[in-house]
Amino acid sequence: MKFDLSILAKHIPFLLEGAWLTFQACLLAVIGSLVVGLLVAAARTSASPLLNRLSAIYVDIFRNIPFIVQLFFFYFGLPEIGIYIDAFTTGVIAMSVAGGAFTSDVIRSGILAIDPGIIEAAQVSGLRKSTILRKIVMPIALRASVRPLGSVFINLILTSSILSTITLNELTGSAKIVASQTFRPFEVYFVLLVAYAALTWFVSILISMLHRYLNRNQAEGAV
Amino acid sequence: MRYGDFTPYDLVLLLQGLGVSVALFVSTTLIGLVIGTLWAVIRFYRVPVLSQVVAFVAELLKNSPVLVQLFLVFFGLPAFLKINVTPTTAAVITLSGNSAAFIYVIAVSAIESVGRDQLEAARVFGLSRWQILRRVIAPQAAAFAIGPLTGLLVNQLQVTSLISVIGVMDLTKVGNILNLRTLKPFLVWTAVGVLYYLTAKLVAHAGARFEKRLRAHTAWKGL
Repeated sequence: MKFDLSILAKHIPFLLEGAWLTFQACLLAVIGSLVVGLLVAAARTSASPLLNRLSAIYVDIFRNIPFIVQLFFFYFGLPEIGIYIDAFTTGVIAMSVAGGAFTSDVIRSGILAIDPGIIEAAQVSGLRKSTILRKIVMPIALRASVRPLGSVFINLILTSSILSTITLNELTGSAKIVASQTFRPFEVYFVLLVAYAALTWFVSILISMLHRYLNRNQAEGAV
Repeated sequence: MRYGDFTPYDLVLLLQGLGVSVALFVSTTLIGLVIGTLWAVIRFYRVPVLSQVVAFVAELLKNSPVLVQLFLVFFGLPAFLKINVTPTTAAVITLSGNSAAFIYVIAVSAIESVGRDQLEAARVFGLSRWQILRRVIAPQAAAFAIGPLTGLLVNQLQVTSLISVIGVMDLTKVGNILNLRTLKPFLVWTAVGVLYYLTAKLVAHAGARFEKRLRAHTAWKGL
């Protein structure tokens, strides 16, 4: 068969619609996993043994179970306990919870890398615990972990394709529909592959720019 | 009449699914190891054209969703090349390629971790190119790579769950079937999750043991 991309032309608006849904899901999931990650990382590095243990268990569980299993757990399980929400919300929740585990690990290592002298200085200055966390620990930890956070978020974008298995027609889901309408699966999925690669490449450039911007005041060489 | 209850046979079904998942995981890991290492060696010898192609393909495979790669192989290849691809074949091809791309990155940095001066010393002693690769680089690179490799394998184990989407009877697919028959999502997906979790822990544990053995020569033995 000939490799012919022109047949895709009239399906582009439909694919873009799917891409828009992917973008929305990813944006919400990134925000969600950042919030979850910050809270869990704070718990993970806190002095309380109980919080420590609970957050460690959370991270361990959600990092070691496949995302698709977690997704099905939420998608089929939530209606069972009387919570009826649509596939999009379920997907965003599942991505936030799973992404939160990875995010919290990154932020935690950022927190642990902070010079203890800085925290001691804040403590003897009489700052409250919450102030130290909000104004000193988190800004430093987040600034240092922009790059690893970026790769977690890129992974999240790739993971979002799995949402197509719970009837959500995001980019991969709508590509599936186009493939079955045109009978040209090879072209459709090849374009999709390149599109995802281009998207993540673009995001990684944005992350590098953000990293350089946030760390512009750091000493030379401390990239 | 519906058969909605669990039967003892369901346990057999779950274990069967686990067997399929683990078998595919092990075989694709081995194939991926061979291909990935081969790519890294190609890069090490700076083979013209081929090393650029390898780098590009690895980048493409790393930066696109596995689900899309799976669809490309399972739906795209048969339509394009007019060949028959069974779900299992598609799964093996995709997962091997995906593992190879990530192993390539690890192998490249492992080879680079061996100091240049060692290569020069080996060359001065008159070792051939193959001998240098086999006797000098490989043992040190393996000890360096085993840590990141374990992390990758834990991840790849979870990636195998995606092949359920194209109809391979792996653990996730079995979970799906049981879920639809018994309509007890919490129980079914928890059981599936626990099985994945235990397998992941086993992989991590085995990796840690193996790393200890590979690094035995650098361990402190006392005076």
